[in-house]
Amino acid sequence: MISLVIDTCTNNVVIGLLNGLDVIDQKIEFNDKNISTNFVPLIDELLKKNNTKITDIKKIFVAIGPGSFTGIRVGVTFAKVMAWSLNIEVVPFSSLELMASTSSDHVIIPLIDARRGYVYGGIYDYNLNALLPDEYILIDDLLKYAQGYEKCTFVSFDSFDFATKLPDVDIRKIVFKHFNDNGVKPHSLNPNYLKKTEAEEKFSGE
Amino acid sequence: MKDMYILAIESSCDETSVSIVRNGCEEIGTVVLSQMDTHASFGGVVPEIASRMHIENITLVIEECLNKADMTMDKIDAIAVTYGPGLIGSLLVGLQAAKTLALIYNKPLIPVHHIAGHIYANSLVETMKFPLIALVVSGGHTDIIYMKDHYSFEKIGGTLDDAVGEAYDKVARVLGLNYPGGPLVDKLAHMGEDTYDLPIPLNDESYNFSFSGLKSAVINLSHNETQRGNKIIVENLAASFQNRVVGILVHKTIKAMKEYKVNNLIVAGGVSANRGLRELITKVCKQNNYNITIPEIKYCTDNAAMIGAAAYYAYQMGRVSSLDLSAKASDKLQ
Repeated sequence: MISLVIDTCTNNVVIGLLNGLDVIDQKIEFNDKNISTNFVPLIDELLKKNNTKITDIKKIFVAIGPGSFTGIRVGVTFAKVMAWSLNIEVVPFSSLELMASTSSDHVIIPLIDARRGYVYGGIYDYNLNALLPDEYILIDDLLKYAQGYEKCTFVSFDSFDFATKLPDVDIRKIVFKHFNDNGVKPHSLNPNYLKKTEAEEKFSGE
Repeated sequence: MKDMYILAIESSCDETSVSIVRNGCEEIGTVVLSQMDTHASFGGVVPEIASRMHIENITLVIEECLNKADMTMDKIDAIAVTYGPGLIGSLLVGLQAAKTLALIYNKPLIPVHHIAGHIYANSLVETMKFPLIALVVSGGHTDIIYMKDHYSFEKIGGTLDDAVGEAYDKVARVLGLNYPGGPLVDKLAHMGEDTYDLPIPLNDESYNFSFSGLKSAVINLSHNETQRGNKIIVENLAASFQNRVVGILVHKTIKAMKEYKVNNLIVAGGVSANRGLRELITKVCKQNNYNITIPEIKYCTDNAAMIGAAAYYAYQMGRVSSLDLSAKASDKLQ
């Protein structure tokens, strides 16, 4: 069974094709600032290169956040429309979890810079179980949680004032983890921003 | 010639809309999902909320449109989409959806300028006759456009500051009306008399408009009267404001008709739903023996049917895009 893996939540875009648990091909675009323009052509290219028809794909695994709001919507809109059109399963996963698929002997803490001292972050074990669920959190608070572990590896595409490792994502690991997940209905596939809009924050703060 | 069915998507502001249009002139089915109630509580459209609501609803709206039109995707010949101008995050959702459909069904992708859409809404009403003058009035635009033929747009005038719909909404706020207040100002204007002394905005030889001075005049007048302890008669102030706005719009449009020796006028955009404008411009066109087309209100406000209509003519001219189409927050109409 052919499946497609998509993550457009950050500037580092991941797309991959798998047959069962075997990776057929994958592409990682680093620092792609124009993903809304490039994304559909990237998919088209990947399919053509591997002599695969889009209708051969029977399942989509899509990262639904956190990350750049616009970036998230590029992949999620694609997955939503594709799953609806072809009537296939779509399985959501976390963009932080994909970063946490980097190999490490310790717990992994994936980070996405959310500015003003905040990050999107979580704490994962080797099997991608979330020890601390993804959160929009002050970096200092997350570091306090991290102290609870003897050793941990921080992974991020962004730079911080402490050492982080560049993620080396393993899409096979994500698919393995979610292989038997029930798909969600395309209409109810939605981003997980982890953060309200500023207007809503102000509104509820009044 | 074989019929051409276009599925069009419009998501440039706070309406998620999908429509199927046959041959650029017949609407087979349209769904418009408005977010207005949500944004009203914030006093205006919040871009990030608009984007979030578009993505939540996009497949529902596509599906409902197909059901309403009693069509399936394999009957569709091309996919059209508003690529701009508009709110970038909102545009992106419709654009990604359109590109995805074009990829999956291997159909041509037709990019449509939002204002071309408003103008071509008229082709859903009757065949457009050229040359023509189009008066485009909305929350973001106040343009006079000369068209020699299909997809030949010559902008001969536009607003120097606020768009006419924007001026209406701002004045509505001064009058204590809720967002979006434009239609309420129109309603009140019909209940009042033009008694207040307000300036005629940018009453010059150009085809340009400027409404910010008039808006300030309303604010000042309201402020001064309140200071003096006089009660503002809201209906009369609305009527006075509307008369100035509609007066200058009609005056400059008719002047353009004369100078460009054009007999056909089309009025387009959300503010063409304004009763005051409809009544005056229809009357003046009648006096001058001009043909006028104003689409019914459902085609004036943002909708995808107009995008499907504009796309048909764009397609005839070979305007098809590859899958790397980008959304543009602002773009020249051409």
